[in-house]
Amino acid sequence: MEETLAVEMRHVRKYFASSNVLAANDVDFEVRQGEVHALVGENGAGKTTLMNMLYGLVHPDHAEIYVYGEPVRISHPDHAIRLGIGMVHQHFKLVPSFTVAENIMLGIEPNQFGFINGKSEAEIVRELAQNFGLPVDPNARVSELSVGMQQRVEILKTLQRDARILILDEPTAVLTPQEVHELYNVIRRLADDGRAVILITHKLLEVKEVADRVSVMRRGKMIGTHDVADVTIRDMANMMVGREVILQVEKQPATPGDVVLKVENLLVAGMGGVPAVFGVSFDVRAGEIFGIAGVSGNGQTELIEAIAGLRPVDGGRIMLLDHDITDVNVRTRRTEGMAHIPEDRMTMGLNLQTNLDENVIVTSYQKPPFSSYGILNFQPMRELAARLAKKYQIASARVGEEIKTLSGGNLQKVVLARELEGEPKFIIANQPTRGVDVGSIEFVHKTLVEERDGGAAILLVSVELEEIMSLSDRIAVIFEGRIMAVLDAADATEEDLGILMAGGTLDKKE
Amino acid sequence: MLKRLQIVGGHAAIPLFAVLLGLVVGSFFVFLAGANPIQVYDQLFCEGFGSRGCETFDDLLIVEAENDDGELETHFAPFYGERGHGMAIVLEKATPLILTALAATIAFKAGMFSIGMDGQLVLGALMAGFLGYWIPDQIYAATGVADFEAASSVMRTVMHIVVPTLAISAAMIVGAIYSWFAGFLKVKLNVNVLISTIILNAIAVQFVGYMINFPLRADFNNIARTRAIDDSAWLVPFTRGLFSEIEWFRGSRTGVGIIIALIAAFVIWFYLWRSTSGYEQRMTSGSSLFARFSGIATEKAALRAMLISGALSGLAGAIMILGVERRIVDGFASSGTGFDGVLVAILARESIAGIVLVAMFFAGLQQGAINLQFGDLPRQLGGIIIALIILFSAMENFFRETMSRIRHRIAPDAMTQTSDDAVPVESG
Amino acid sequence: MLELMVKYQDDLRRTLLIGGVILTILVFVALPTNVIQSGIRLSTPFVLGSLAALIASRAGVLNLAIEGKMLLGSFIAVAVLFQRDLDPAVGVLAATIAGGVLGLIFAILYLQIRVNLIILALALNLFVANATVFFMRTEFGVFGTLADPSIRGLPTYDLPIIKDLPFIGELISGYNGIVYISWMMVVAIWVLLRKTQFGRHIRAVGENKEAAETAGINVTRVQIFALTLSGMLAGFAGSFFSLGILSQFLENMTAGRGWIALTISLFALERPLPAFFTSLFFGFSEALSLDLQNSETVSFLPPDILLLMPQVAAIGALVLVALRIRGSELLKRRQFVAQFSKELGDLKRMVISPGQD
Ligand SMILES: Nc1ncnc2c1ncn2[C@@H]1O[C@H](COP(=O)(O)OP(=O)(O)O)[C@@H](O)[C@H]1O
Ligand SMILES: [Mg+2]
Repeated sequence: MEETLAVEMRHVRKYFASSNVLAANDVDFEVRQGEVHALVGENGAGKTTLMNMLYGLVHPDHAEIYVYGEPVRISHPDHAIRLGIGMVHQHFKLVPSFTVAENIMLGIEPNQFGFINGKSEAEIVRELAQNFGLPVDPNARVSELSVGMQQRVEILKTLQRDARILILDEPTAVLTPQEVHELYNVIRRLADDGRAVILITHKLLEVKEVADRVSVMRRGKMIGTHDVADVTIRDMANMMVGREVILQVEKQPATPGDVVLKVENLLVAGMGGVPAVFGVSFDVRAGEIFGIAGVSGNGQTELIEAIAGLRPVDGGRIMLLDHDITDVNVRTRRTEGMAHIPEDRMTMGLNLQTNLDENVIVTSYQKPPFSSYGILNFQPMRELAARLAKKYQIASARVGEEIKTLSGGNLQKVVLARELEGEPKFIIANQPTRGVDVGSIEFVHKTLVEERDGGAAILLVSVELEEIMSLSDRIAVIFEGRIMAVLDAADATEEDLGILMAGGTLDKKE
Repeated sequence: MLKRLQIVGGHAAIPLFAVLLGLVVGSFFVFLAGANPIQVYDQLFCEGFGSRGCETFDDLLIVEAENDDGELETHFAPFYGERGHGMAIVLEKATPLILTALAATIAFKAGMFSIGMDGQLVLGALMAGFLGYWIPDQIYAATGVADFEAASSVMRTVMHIVVPTLAISAAMIVGAIYSWFAGFLKVKLNVNVLISTIILNAIAVQFVGYMINFPLRADFNNIARTRAIDDSAWLVPFTRGLFSEIEWFRGSRTGVGIIIALIAAFVIWFYLWRSTSGYEQRMTSGSSLFARFSGIATEKAALRAMLISGALSGLAGAIMILGVERRIVDGFASSGTGFDGVLVAILARESIAGIVLVAMFFAGLQQGAINLQFGDLPRQLGGIIIALIILFSAMENFFRETMSRIRHRIAPDAMTQTSDDAVPVESG
Repeated sequence: MLELMVKYQDDLRRTLLIGGVILTILVFVALPTNVIQSGIRLSTPFVLGSLAALIASRAGVLNLAIEGKMLLGSFIAVAVLFQRDLDPAVGVLAATIAGGVLGLIFAILYLQIRVNLIILALALNLFVANATVFFMRTEFGVFGTLADPSIRGLPTYDLPIIKDLPFIGELISGYNGIVYISWMMVVAIWVLLRKTQFGRHIRAVGENKEAAETAGINVTRVQIFALTLSGMLAGFAGSFFSLGILSQFLENMTAGRGWIALTISLFALERPLPAFFTSLFFGFSEALSLDLQNSETVSFLPPDILLLMPQVAAIGALVLVALRIRGSELLKRRQFVAQFSKELGDLKRMVISPGQD
């Protein structure tokens, strides 16, 4: 029984001149009707780009695309919509000041001579929500909805356009575990209706749980497509990174010393004053790696920004080596021994608009030998840059050229080199390996362990559970801005951490 | 060295291309006016940049002119100053352009898109114009001396130093404060600088217009104007002072202003590229998150840039009044010199040397077109060409992309990133 | 202070509104009829210009070229009529079309060729300012003023019935067509933005371009339409200078009023009705200032200062809007701390109090 494929993409090629990246290199991809098809790959593998091409948002250099067997050239989302394709983006694309109904009906408003009929609009949405068992208030303003609700609006938006092929780009990254579960149910239901659901993710557990088949991408190439039942998580991981994954970091047991960082009852508000961190307390000792595990968006960013001095603290205090640094500026924190490997190296960790020299002195330019009497000295700058480039094996850009041409791994090495220069006593490592190739991941991990052995206190934040488990000596789990528990890495199991990350509690008596 | 030259060449290529294209499209307007573009351009450039006897493009370098005995003599044109040289006027007109373009650049290079130079300039001019007679008045009243003529030579020297210094300083302070206000709104309240400076410009222009028409109006001349500044406040042009012997400057009001502007250009260059403060503001403009993360006081850096920017604009206004105009006439406020500075800065793309060159080029075009007016073409031809040049230079991305698309089509695999090593992008 | 502002946000808005109404009434009572009439007339280009600015802003494009488009409009209106003995309405129409064409060119350069918006606008303004004078010289051979006996100003109309109303009648009747059309345009733009599909698309594009795009709206097309419409409005506004007040074109006739129109739109938070009233305010200020300049009596209120008021108010509005955002954030943070302290207190009590079974 050969049913026509819902989607068939052949020889897709896409080159981005602006970033000099071949995001799709002769990619083949197919999706059957009625299946949940997972598309997995590391960050930057090209998953979003591939789907954007199917949705008409990005135009391929070359591609043969068939939708329900018909050859098509999709030039605009409008066209994709008419073909029955719907896409829910990683970052939601909603108009904040519009109501739910206005958002859902955007572009397909019921109208007479161009005049919109607002009443029937709300009616249509109410009915739609009922039909699919996804209740929403049509007249609520989108800016006032929770993230989970906004996602629901996005899904309804595609359903109202009668999408038979539904693309969900990393939909679970921002959801709480309960919401994730609800979403799984929805996805299953939609697939059982005969829709094709494409689920982009890089969480392999998720694939096992909901998908029928899985396609793996790596650096712009399609590695293969398999029935989920036939592959293990480890197989998929190996396909994703391209070789046997060694996630076990070699390290000696820690020998923790004195407390270096002490955080007490920290209260921090996030963007727009929305509460983000609720009375968090913990301490990090010299010679240990203290990991914070949690689903992204549970207050990690705000917590780190507060410790790093980038966000005002609303309550509680932060002590660094017995100094109260709660209200102290970044420069002082850094002089007192803090280093920070930020989450986003492109905008925070580096200035891509300038050269390597100016990037490596940014934390020390005001001191000799890099400047005297407010005037920069170029020779020492150049020497430092050259020395660090050698030590960290940074494939250096041409002298004096902007560093934006460096790859992700090399950029991260620049950050690492600068931050670890001058033997910091306390290091914040926030998602230190995100979007970095495997070789560089190992390098970063090794370097962090070396720093620990050298006596530095390290605060590691990562949403990759494996990274946390293999690097940390102690692990705290954060959920909705609260620390759920602090475990010894030796005793922590993936199951326990999973429960805590989902907001559950561990009952030791069981 | 060769590499450096290549880089400089790469930076200059697009602006030069834009200039060329601007002139080509501009010739279309010359056609419409029924003139021969080649002739007109010859004349335009000669009038703008040439010496006496300049008739064609070539004459800008080597010119033949009759001497007093009616014989033809060959001269190296740039130095041939008989009866004045076009470049002398270019220097005069370029002075405020250089200063306001520096002002714009320093603000841009702190991530502040301020186009408030116009407002700061007119306020600075007003301040200098007012103090230019008010301070001497006070001095004369206190000392009982009737006027500058009657003063002793010592007093004249002292006044000639003190009065302009005070007037210029006050103008710079006024400009700086006005600019700082926009910066403050941005830094503290996140008010869009572009928008706030547009409104602040309108307010300043309106206010200065009012001051000229009412409180500071000097007489019942048809066109409202302020009192002329005192001779002690006058930045005497070279032709009447320092270089009165040098023919080259004849007919221009170029004076110490251009020297101040060039010194300012050097100081700003040094500040931006050699000082830690300049480094701080450049990092802030590159990525303010990055600067903050590294411990740079970004707000301070941005506000400092706005202060310097405003001071430069105020300085430009002061020099225009104290060195050239000597009084403020109605219409001065709305003439938009500050805007021209923004345009110069845009075309020069953050290069200080570029600013000096572009400012002189604009000044020459405008001046050449003014002189051309005595032929049959309106001086607005200069403005049209400048507008076209700016437009074309802003199409840089379009040109580059078209180029790269063509190149990519020819050799598609030559520039793709497959390994994790750095792949230097071709620089155009 | 901030908290008060946030808490009484609605009251504040109401106060401002009531203040505005009182001010309007005062204006009508205090000012002589002829000043009010000329104020309404002078506000017309502001009304149209600010509508032009706001329709572009609403589509997500800050239109800094309003000035140039207006100036082009006022030039074309006269240039078309020059020595042709045509109906002035033809001039107005030509100006509108010219503005639209310039708006279209602006849109294409910005959206298709991707020229930097600000540079593009500054260059266009400079170009129009120079090109109008250039052609005045080369095509018509005149300096400074382009006039001709064949160019007639727009006729004025009395509105039937309304003109007979006591007091109000002479204030809102007796203007030329552009004035009336500008009033209709205020309503039309409001309806367009609020009630029509196209208007909703404009708002969606302006607020979140990507949202509109993924919903299947052709963003570029919407922006091109909006910018063309904006240009037409600006050109139309421009024709009012040359045919509505005088019947000639003067060098740099708009004299920065395009920029003022833009600030009006900003001050009015890009909404048509507030933009209309702000424009009236500017118009009255200008009329009053002219009146005072011409009158012999020395007034205690300098006329040009009056012209400054609206601009200062515009800065004030920017600050107020920013303060409101800041204030609401601050308030939320205070509430958060207060709530958490309470929670923390409760927790402590639980620990201390004897366990309940
Ligand atoms: N619009 C764009 N311009 C330039 N480069 C891009 C663009 N979009 C994506 N890329 C690059 O293409 C690669 C693939 O990105 P993406 O498809 O987002 O990966 P994924 O979704 O798998 O994480 C990345 O290296 C990214 O930097
Ligand atoms: Mg992605």
